[in-house]
Amino acid sequence: MKTVVLGVGNPILCDDGVGIHVAKQLKQYINDPDVIIDEALTGGMNLLDQLLGYDKAILIDAVRAKNANHGEVKRFSLNDISSVHSCNPHDVSLVEALKMAEKLGENRIPREIIIIGILLKEMSCEFGEQLSSKIAAAVPKAVDMTLSELEK
Amino acid sequence: MMKTITIDPITRLEGHGKISIFLDAQGDVVNAYLQIPELRGFERFCQGRRAEDMPQITSRICGVCPVAHHFASTKALDNAFNVDPPSAAKKLRELMYCGYIIYDHILHFYYLGGPDFVVGPDAPPAKRNILGVIEKAGLEIGKEVIKHRAYGQKITGILGGKATHPVCGLPGGVSKGLNKDEVKDIETMTKSCIEFAKFSLKLFDDIVLENKDYVDLILSDPYTLKTYNMGLVDKNNKVNFYDGKIRVTDQKGKEHIKFNPQEYYKKIAEHVEEWSYIKFTYLKDIGWNGFNDGKDSGIYRVGPLGRLNAAEGMATPLADKEYKRFFETLGGKAVNSTLAFHWARLIELLYSTERAMELIKDPEIISTKIRNPVGEPGEGIGVVEAARGTLIHHYKLDKNGLVDKVNLIVATTNNAGAINMSVRDAAKGIIKKGKVNDGLLNMVEMAFRAYDPCFACATHTLPGGMPLEIDIYDKNKKSYKRIRQNL
Repeated sequence: MKTVVLGVGNPILCDDGVGIHVAKQLKQYINDPDVIIDEALTGGMNLLDQLLGYDKAILIDAVRAKNANHGEVKRFSLNDISSVHSCNPHDVSLVEALKMAEKLGENRIPREIIIIGILLKEMSCEFGEQLSSKIAAAVPKAVDMTLSELEK
Repeated sequence: MMKTITIDPITRLEGHGKISIFLDAQGDVVNAYLQIPELRGFERFCQGRRAEDMPQITSRICGVCPVAHHFASTKALDNAFNVDPPSAAKKLRELMYCGYIIYDHILHFYYLGGPDFVVGPDAPPAKRNILGVIEKAGLEIGKEVIKHRAYGQKITGILGGKATHPVCGLPGGVSKGLNKDEVKDIETMTKSCIEFAKFSLKLFDDIVLENKDYVDLILSDPYTLKTYNMGLVDKNNKVNFYDGKIRVTDQKGKEHIKFNPQEYYKKIAEHVEEWSYIKFTYLKDIGWNGFNDGKDSGIYRVGPLGRLNAAEGMATPLADKEYKRFFETLGGKAVNSTLAFHWARLIELLYSTERAMELIKDPEIISTKIRNPVGEPGEGIGVVEAARGTLIHHYKLDKNGLVDKVNLIVATTNNAGAINMSVRDAAKGIIKKGKVNDGLLNMVEMAFRAYDPCFACATHTLPGGMPLEIDIYDKNKKSYKRIRQNL
């Protein structure tokens, strides 16, 4: 079984890039030719392109939720949410992209898509490469959760 | 799922568009504002970094249009290091740029703007998306859309080293040339893209231009704005995405000014409004005259419609034919119909495919002379036409080649004044005597979607979707109604 693990986010937008930080750490722990770890600085259609051809996909991403416990790490299945990661008028959401691919007979869609979400109550709009302390503290938790997801 | 939240500066910064509409005593629209969040601290972030890193850093500003930032930045570095790239390098850059325009314009027409026309502006929101387009146009067409968007992406990837965030641009040239196999691949894909662009224009004809209701909507008052227009042109005043002079034409399509991109700061000024994080650019010689169109207002438009209006044609034969038909059909120059952006976008798609073919067939494209040595670091300005309009990068480097000052004017900033007016006019057309119907959101969205705006690019939200909030206030500026989506 081939699995892709994608850190999603923008590495120059502070906490928004937490997924990328997690993916970088994971590389130290995983040495398995069937597990590909990569970074995705994008959403929607481009993100879909990076998932195709794998049996399972794990996305690690910042998740903004108003009533969230800031810095909590949570596992979601793609079915739990209606729309992922297109806070941008110039793209479709991942869910929309997936639905379309399905409709058009795409047969390389992963059977399982899991999201390891790092919950953020609010997101800074400032440029920077550092994570805030609470979100930095969530990185090891997200690493552990991803590793146990890979063992399933 | 309507609930009330407090509006404070923080929520305005969270990465969503927010529209405030103000009514008078009769319940008609006086004014409307679109607030776009702005990412802060970019200059500070860049200070002290190596200049050569700027094309990679700036391409990360946006997950959607990295190629435009990459090359505006690379060209600013050419200028800052006082180096002119070899002609083969310029051609490679422009070819890659064509790939970007191909996938970006396809994405916008079929996935984002197109649903309004192909599915219909009155269709329920659940249908007004790419799935609705496929349902209406057929699965085969859906497959073609996917295929050709991917081709554009692949062309960009072959030249750029990476599909999404290119690494090829260097001051004085590019890091990577093309081999014969790659040339063959790109030629095959480009050929197919030309046919697809022709097909897309035909589809627009059949579905939109043949439908009187749609044509009336395009030409209707709420979607008309008589501003100046701006875009890069080549030496024959034809549209060019990668290089040339900046040309500005007036409301009748006559040349107003034409200047070297390096002089932008003498021609363009920025106006500040207290309610907006985004500054509004305007023509210095005309001046700021509020959110008004017409000859006395310095507001201008960029992007597909701005470019077509600011030029005198397209540099390739098929696109030029379409260019002429565009102006003949819509009543001559300038075309001031906001919804005509969509048609203009397809004409540009055709141009990019034809231009890509010219470039890939050019014997020089496989040249290995792709970089010239750089000079001493200084100040540099680089301008390209991003898919959504003129994009300006301006850097000052210190004597060690480290970044000292950065100024960026992005396409959506250039369009910000016009987008605000279009939103206001669409709202005026819909809200009468305090009656607000649910179609409002889409009619207003159509107005700004035509510009293909880029807001803050990377903020993640779950659940996602395009977050938008419209607040309507009565004559006493008390909240009257709120419409929200994806928030």
